[in-house]
Amino acid sequence: MNHKFFGAASVILLLAIASLFGGERDSIRLKDSSGKLVEPLANKGQKATVLFFLTTECPIGNLYSPEITRIVEQYKKQGVTCLAVYAHEKAAEVQKHQRDYKLSLRALLDPEVKLAKFTGATVMPEACILGHDGEILYRGRIDDRAVKFGTVRPAPRVRDLRMALDAVLAGNPVAKKVTKPIGCYISFPEGPLPKSPK
Amino acid sequence: MKLVKKSAALLCLFLSPLQGAGEEKSVTFSKDIAPIIFENCTTCHRPGQIGPFALTDYKTVKRRAKQIVEVTEDRTMPPWHADPGDVKFSNNRSLSPEQIKLLSDWVTAGRPEGDPAETPPLPEFHEKWQIGEPDQIATMTERFTVRAEGSDIYRNFVIPMNLEEDRWVEAIEFLPGAPEIVHHILYFLDTSGKARKYDAEDKKPGFSMSKSNAGFSYIGGWDVGTQPTELPHGLRFLIPKGADLVVQIHYHPNGREMTDQSSVGFHYSDKPTARPWSIIQVPPHFGQMQGIEIKAGDKEHIEEASFILPEDCEAFAVNAHAHYLAKRMELTATLPNGKAIRLLRTTRWDFRWQEDYSFEKPVKLPAGTRLDMLISYDNSASNPNNPTSPPKNVKWGPQTTDEMGSITLAAMFETKEQKEATHNALRFFLANQFIDRIWERRADVGNGNGNGNGNRKGQLQIAVGMLKALDKDNDSMLSPEERKTAIALIQGMGFLKRFGAIGFE
Repeated sequence: MNHKFFGAASVILLLAIASLFGGERDSIRLKDSSGKLVEPLANKGQKATVLFFLTTECPIGNLYSPEITRIVEQYKKQGVTCLAVYAHEKAAEVQKHQRDYKLSLRALLDPEVKLAKFTGATVMPEACILGHDGEILYRGRIDDRAVKFGTVRPAPRVRDLRMALDAVLAGNPVAKKVTKPIGCYISFPEGPLPKSPK
Repeated sequence: MKLVKKSAALLCLFLSPLQGAGEEKSVTFSKDIAPIIFENCTTCHRPGQIGPFALTDYKTVKRRAKQIVEVTEDRTMPPWHADPGDVKFSNNRSLSPEQIKLLSDWVTAGRPEGDPAETPPLPEFHEKWQIGEPDQIATMTERFTVRAEGSDIYRNFVIPMNLEEDRWVEAIEFLPGAPEIVHHILYFLDTSGKARKYDAEDKKPGFSMSKSNAGFSYIGGWDVGTQPTELPHGLRFLIPKGADLVVQIHYHPNGREMTDQSSVGFHYSDKPTARPWSIIQVPPHFGQMQGIEIKAGDKEHIEEASFILPEDCEAFAVNAHAHYLAKRMELTATLPNGKAIRLLRTTRWDFRWQEDYSFEKPVKLPAGTRLDMLISYDNSASNPNNPTSPPKNVKWGPQTTDEMGSITLAAMFETKEQKEATHNALRFFLANQFIDRIWERRADVGNGNGNGNGNRKGQLQIAVGMLKALDKDNDSMLSPEERKTAIALIQGMGFLKRFGAIGFE
């Protein structure tokens, strides 16, 4: 086994993995809360896509609603598409949640937790930035206000998602690609429960 | 081939402990988990109650399983903050280590349901009032709107009781209008009409915390998850005719603008209280005269206070109060025979949960017992509860960015005279602290550095002048004799009279 062979094998392996992911990504089609079919990861010319994994009943997640709405509005102008992803709710419940908490972003229903599996998200609320080619550029908390269940700072000190988005839009690498979100856990219907994120 | 063997061996190694555990115990929802959840969680975690989500069946519990394990293991849930100690509490809500382990084992085993027929039925919960329909329901006269986000909101609401005669109360129950945002409350009675005046002056419903509640009689509180207040041992308290109820509500914004209109239910009794009782707060008045001053960045600032009981009493409950910076709180009673009893210790003080801890059996505290209170505050940036970033110097004050701190015993006496003597000793204690604080600031008055508004500055000037006059030998110290005279004078002064133990029976 020489180095050349090893190098070529790695390239093939990488390509295989990439095509695997590409395939998975393109095949993700979900209904939004109004019943329309959406391909959340397709490239439609957006600079980036932000997925917000949400649930209707998590007090920590709900606390973030005004900040999510501000991010949606502010970054829309800069070519960023924001989507909410609900794994555990029916369309009517999602619609009510969006109304109650004045959430102004398109909401997807993902009962098979395809997007959570694709991105590695485990918590609600958790945010994930995808580049226009579907690359995962950031995954984690919106900001650092939640410390643990029951402990929330009066105001955030580090706004991780905004910092990551600003870096992406400026064409810079994201300094911290993964952060630990605090909130309610996404319940994966089958298999073992995912480990807590670091 | 080798590789396959290895991974197979690894797989076996990985699976075998799990399988072993599963076969031995076979923890299931229906047999093991449902009884724990239904008995300890569902009373709050069901539709329409204060728990943010329901835990009422296999589906809802399975979905929250990982979170349930995490919050029970770190003892965030069920909420209970007293460390195990010398006295047992009758309202202890904490789970046993065995129960916590069962929950964790169940998740490790893959959250199996077991035989649904084995699942016990939900306990019979009351839908509205937990201890039955009250004799009188006092509801906020207006709805109050709470914004979607931002810092916590405190607001006082006046509710006329319209009682035409004095009534003895044996139980109070609070019914939050918007359980999502109501966090904790304190009840007061006002017979002066002052609260109504404040309410009328304030354009919004209720009145703000900038108005002093001095002169109101404190009659208890409620926080998320506490049971209704049912007085033990045949004790009652009196609501005088014509009194107004003042409810001070602490709201947590929850991401959505909401309105609240809460109610308080009173259960009256034809019988008067079986014994005189009161509260003994160390230091009195939430530490207002303790001279609390916590430097920015100080990781462990200690405040201590000691009070000697002048009369016999029997303590039946304890409650601690401070704001966000407090970490550790302790109250120890040292009896005249030297025996020390730790009445309360919490190393996990959390402003969000303000529980009353009821003693399983009343604790006899003979005259001469010393109560030692200790609070440790963390005003560093590494305290995630610190409401100010970066930290600032913190003094006593009513806002949650200020601090305060005391531990309160509820105690019963044999005679009214014992109760009165205990109150007087607490007033004496407070007057002494008051003199210390004035004496500390005597230099400020001379050089005009005294802060505060004109009225308070004037009061301070008068008080300092008075103390200086008492310092007969002019040695800038008050001798015990001089101090006695000062206390006698101060206790007669209007602006101290409102301090001290708040009594009702």
